Amino acid sequence: MRRLAPSPTTRVEVDRPVPFRWVGRSIEGCQGDTVASALWNAGVRTFGRSFEYHRPRGLFDLEGEGASQLVAIDGLPNQSAGTTALRAGMSVSAQNVSGDPRSDLYGVLDRFDRWMPAGFYYRRFHRPYRAWPFFQNRMRALAGLGVLDTSSPHDDARRSELYLNADVAVVGGGVSGMAAALAAARPGVRVCLFERRPWLGGHMDWRVRETRGERLYERAHGLAEEVAAHPHIRALTAAPVTGIWGENLVTGFQNGSDADGFDERHWECRARAVIVATGTIERPLVFNHNDRPGVMVSDTAWRLARSYAVRPGMRAVFSVGDDLALEAAVDLASLGIDVAAVADARADGADPELVAALERAGIEFLPGYAASAALGKHAVAGVTIATLDGSDERRFACDLLVANAGRQPDIGALSSAGARFRHSPHTHTFEIESLPADVFAAGRVTGLVDAEAIETSGRRAGLEAFVHLAGGLGAAFPSTDEPSVYAELTKIRAYSSELPGPPAGCGILHGPNLGSGRKAFLDFDEDGTWKNAVQCAEQGFDVPELAKRFGNFGLGPGQYRVPGQNVAMAMAQITGTAIEEIRCTTVRPPLIAPKLATVAGPNHDSYKRTPLHDDQASRGGVFRRAGAWQRARYFSDDHTCRAEIRNVRENVGLLDSSPLGKFRIYGPDAIHALQRVYISDMTKMKPGRCKYSAMCNDTGNIIDDGVVVPMGRDDYYFTTSSNRAASTVEWFRYHTRYDGWNYNLVNLTDTLASINLAGPRARDVLRKVTDADLSNQAFPYIGYREIAVGDGIAARCMRLGFVGELSYELHVGASHAPHVWDLLWSAGEEFGIQPFGLEAQNALRAEKGHVIIGAESEQRVTLLDIGMGWLWSREDTASKKVGAPALRACQDQPNRMKLVGFRVDEGGGSPQDGAIVVDGDDILGFVCTTRYSEALGWQFGMALVKERAIGDGDVAGLEIYENLGGRPRRTRATIVPPHFYDPDGTRLRS
Amino acid sequence: MTFRLTCPVCGARDVYEFRYGGPERGMRPAQEDLSPEEHFRWTQFRTTRPAPQEEWWYHAAGCGVWFSTWRNPATNREEGPAT
Amino acid sequence: MTPAGPGALRLERLWEQRPLKRSYDVIIIGGGIHGLATAYYLAKEHGIRDVAVLERQYIGFGGSGRNTAIVRANQRTQENVRLYDEGLKLWPILTDELDYNLMFFNCGNLNLAHSEAAVNAFRLSVNTANFNHVESELLDAQSCKELIPILDVSDKPKYPIQAGMYHPPGGVLRHDAVVWGLAKGAAEHGVDIHQGVEVQGIDVQGAKVTGVRTNHGPIECAKLGVMAGGYGAEVCAMLDLELPVHPLTIQAMVTQPLKPFLHHVVSSGAYHVYANQTLKGEIATGAHMDPQVNYTTDATAHYFKHQAEALTDFMPALKGARFLRIWAGLADMTPDMAPILDGNVGFDGLYLDLGWGYFGFKSGPVAGKYMAEFIARETCPEILEPFALDRFLENRYMGETATTMKYGHWD
Repeated sequence: MRRLAPSPTTRVEVDRPVPFRWVGRSIEGCQGDTVASALWNAGVRTFGRSFEYHRPRGLFDLEGEGASQLVAIDGLPNQSAGTTALRAGMSVSAQNVSGDPRSDLYGVLDRFDRWMPAGFYYRRFHRPYRAWPFFQNRMRALAGLGVLDTSSPHDDARRSELYLNADVAVVGGGVSGMAAALAAARPGVRVCLFERRPWLGGHMDWRVRETRGERLYERAHGLAEEVAAHPHIRALTAAPVTGIWGENLVTGFQNGSDADGFDERHWECRARAVIVATGTIERPLVFNHNDRPGVMVSDTAWRLARSYAVRPGMRAVFSVGDDLALEAAVDLASLGIDVAAVADARADGADPELVAALERAGIEFLPGYAASAALGKHAVAGVTIATLDGSDERRFACDLLVANAGRQPDIGALSSAGARFRHSPHTHTFEIESLPADVFAAGRVTGLVDAEAIETSGRRAGLEAFVHLAGGLGAAFPSTDEPSVYAELTKIRAYSSELPGPPAGCGILHGPNLGSGRKAFLDFDEDGTWKNAVQCAEQGFDVPELAKRFGNFGLGPGQYRVPGQNVAMAMAQITGTAIEEIRCTTVRPPLIAPKLATVAGPNHDSYKRTPLHDDQASRGGVFRRAGAWQRARYFSDDHTCRAEIRNVRENVGLLDSSPLGKFRIYGPDAIHALQRVYISDMTKMKPGRCKYSAMCNDTGNIIDDGVVVPMGRDDYYFTTSSNRAASTVEWFRYHTRYDGWNYNLVNLTDTLASINLAGPRARDVLRKVTDADLSNQAFPYIGYREIAVGDGIAARCMRLGFVGELSYELHVGASHAPHVWDLLWSAGEEFGIQPFGLEAQNALRAEKGHVIIGAESEQRVTLLDIGMGWLWSREDTASKKVGAPALRACQDQPNRMKLVGFRVDEGGGSPQDGAIVVDGDDILGFVCTTRYSEALGWQFGMALVKERAIGDGDVAGLEIYENLGGRPRRTRATIVPPHFYDPDGTRLRS
Repeated sequence: MTFRLTCPVCGARDVYEFRYGGPERGMRPAQEDLSPEEHFRWTQFRTTRPAPQEEWWYHAAGCGVWFSTWRNPATNREEGPAT
Repeated sequence: MTPAGPGALRLERLWEQRPLKRSYDVIIIGGGIHGLATAYYLAKEHGIRDVAVLERQYIGFGGSGRNTAIVRANQRTQENVRLYDEGLKLWPILTDELDYNLMFFNCGNLNLAHSEAAVNAFRLSVNTANFNHVESELLDAQSCKELIPILDVSDKPKYPIQAGMYHPPGGVLRHDAVVWGLAKGAAEHGVDIHQGVEVQGIDVQGAKVTGVRTNHGPIECAKLGVMAGGYGAEVCAMLDLELPVHPLTIQAMVTQPLKPFLHHVVSSGAYHVYANQTLKGEIATGAHMDPQVNYTTDATAHYFKHQAEALTDFMPALKGARFLRIWAGLADMTPDMAPILDGNVGFDGLYLDLGWGYFGFKSGPVAGKYMAEFIARETCPEILEPFALDRFLENRYMGETATTMKYGHWD
């Protein structure tokens, strides 16, 4: 269709065509179009089919408010046609359609509404119960709107994130928002302004009406230039706000262009004050077939013509309830659109200037009339208009029916910011009742209509916000500014009161001659009709919140924004309740639905690598995430790690244990802190020796273990498990927070790497890289020495035995670690040195009967229950050890779970970790770790079992049960002490 | 709610910078004559009301200080005790 | 009343509104599924019909109307499996008894493991389930993908998928339908349901509960059930009753409706995510809880972003979906993630059904069934014995979670 002649408000370039596809057909829009404006211009009237009844739906609004205008674009469903910029080559298709949207197969569902009253599915399909899955599957087949291409990772866009801090955030870049930003911005005050359209200007961007010698769009353009040039304002356009969360965290997304360097970006702005200037949305008029393609709100028709130079229709009829819509009728007529009649649901109160203009344009004006039904099967072909009492009904032919029941403030952003609302009998809208102290409202959202009043309210809100902040901050703002700001604010407050306030609003909800209202829609998204609302009330769901849930009003893609007020009015009217007693339902973020990809942003993966990562990778290490780290778990495809284990038992192995927690604690009260958190008596430490101990929580569970080494006067070095490294400082400080003790705690975990050299040849290897005396007498088991390695690299060396062999743990500076690792590697070659990973370590330590916290312990068992009570310094109450009271309480309790070792009986099979221990119908416990041991020649394991499983006799059997989804397997095992390998510790000490 | 807390060292920061340390329950009681029930009541039991309570927070993504503050769990604002 | 056409439904109030009396045999505080189910079973099974359910807002306002309605019985311990298994089997029975379609979608639940330790934990749960005749199986990553084709089972995700625990008897329901159906059933058996009645105090004489004070005046009762979900601890605080209960805000969200492609409930502990596709086609997803005591039902931007990151990391196709709505409710957590089901706690006639954390929906009807028996017979049914409050004073936790507490049960 030929475009209208461009005007100064036009935002498209009509001579730059943009080709794209609509349900397979090639059509053309132009540069600057949205998908919706291009489709409408191309004569497309049916954009898709409705959710439940598959009724044809078209362009109702351009703001992306509801399901009607959602389309699929390039395989991505549920894109808003009204707000998505047209790009060349796009493939656009209709949703919820079987075939062409004009002749949808499921359209027949529209005739079945009699059998589908509100909540009907709760009363149907479940008897007999076995029939329900059949119906359920049919229902599921009909569910949903768009089709998500699940084969695509949807990774084609450049995504980014932006985190802003502002003194004042302004939501909405219309005239009041811009005026607010300009009034608040000044040296020392950072203002961020967010506008969802690609340009600033709000609704004045397309208004040509003149006030005070200036056309409104000129005023809007002028302010936009001022905002763009202002050094203290950062304005983001094409940046819809998704929510205002606690303490003014404003979030949203932004659609970028090629020049921006991103296609979509997630942003968050923490603001000290927020000004909301979100304007209004039109309240839909409820009448029969009010969803026919060709019915639209006035802004849509107006913007099509003014912003996009698209002819909204050939012949229009208006049934509206506010002055802006009258202005739209006058303006459309001036652009050459035939406006047959304008019905105004308000019997009086219309702006006389506009009424005169309608008269001059030869348009029939019908005050006190409203639409009763849209005519036409697939698209609007006419309308019946009647007096509100229904007595005088007239019929008009038209292809465009502009309809609203007046306007309502767009309260979503305010509501999410914590504003409260109350129904006003004057404006017939939910008005602001109260605002949080740091939230301000400006412009049409406050009910204003007069252009001067709108702009002034913005300036005032900007100043109020500034003063609010200045009051809180005092000196941070230039004091020279302040007196003048206060003077200005006083002036503007006085001036505001002289300007026109909110005018009377339109109070009607539905048109005349509604009948049962079975095709009069309150909610377009999920096909909620007037009749459904009546049915909700009949079944007892008679307040908006319940009707919303029972009748599915306001739960679809447009959420509660559009139908919200209408549903509240409907429930009031149906139940005969005063509307003032009705609360509107909560608006929940997001205010506009963003793609998950946009919110997720680049979603970087961050983890830590040890200094020895690359070398291990080159030796075939298979890495797993372990807390913050990537660690080598295996060094071959054999996940039983037989070769790795054998090599540690027979030769020597090398393990990267760098994530081990490493700490220095020093100061006069360091020993008190250690006494508090460790369960042993930490005063009994000897120089050159490691003291092994554990930490418990207040219920006596073990939460950490490690060794402590005295380094000097009031100076200690200690290790923690890798998992606890990040929480250890916090833990010490928490448990000593009342004591005022003088100590310092330094986390050396990342500073020092740790290398475990373990196996019978460990001494032979280490001897080659150090001159230190490593003899068993000079450096015995549990000993600690500071040695020099290679060319004099300082190493803290502990002789420990977690894996049950002679082993040395070397802590060296992280930057030296690769070199030390290489030295050990070269030195060890002749002894058959090989790396081993976490799984081999796990099997080795289990063979030795050493526990791993979280594997052999859990919430039900204390330190005592897992056989580590020997660590506890029982007599010490003075240190107030964390966990000691719990241990004391449980030490004599019967029937607790206990850790036991077991040996699987000969021919008994090979259960896995997580097998359960059973007796008759009872579960007595579970297997923590179990492995087949080459060294022992049998399968051993550790299990946590209820005490009764252990029995009184010397030899007790366990029945182990496994069923992972096939046939159950039962295994017999015998309880043995959990020191399977080298029970006397000869190998450790040799 | 995405609220903020006031760290005595760093000032107002997003709550996700902090680790929660639970409501204030007084100094660790003396252990000499502490009965098991007293101990487990002290560690786990409390009356919970939607009213301001004193509680402990650790500035994990900041300076690493434990501090106590009054917060109202009904509003998530830092708010002193009702007088 | 709407004129009924052929085959059309007669529409009538689901439950009759009766006047609030000054005295009842039993008062239940909380008009969610636990309170309504208890009242329903009291009247239906035990002939105790002089029962009032008092709801501060409207029925289903709290956790009952804010959860993602996932049900399953593959708990970690035998005591819990027994209770949840019976609960799972109640849905079809209740649908029939109440003559109300609770929309039970028996789609099965797939839980993902991303580490060797998680696989071990799954083995324990799977073995425990099967030993108790509850269907559950351990799947390798490829089999997980066959169930849910949008899973990325490659090494690309932050937490690569190692295995899955599949539990065919689980599924989802329509949470509001359960509330409404139970209200209908309770009312049909004579129970009074009073919305907008807020309990402001509890009256006791000596060591016995005698009634409640409300915004509609005092009401006497012989027995009082506190079944107020996340608000239960607050109610108990009226009696200065100390509990190991910690109310937290838990958040959930849905996407815009999409044609069905996710046919099971999928969840992951490492990502703190669960998701399923509703009958409407929305992806319903949730799980996040901040650790601090929280009585607000405010959602957070932090979680909104977290959820987008998590979902798109292991189900990349969801990048193209759009978030529609986020909301929050209260979860009353206990240290061992198991509820407190007890009677005559501190006061004769006081019955507690709270501390369900985020498992309150799954268990509503079965808890109601046995709490009704407890109240009617004044002896604790055997199946509830392990859930007594005293376990926390004896340091005997139920083991529903393996994780040990640090500072307290929030961390």
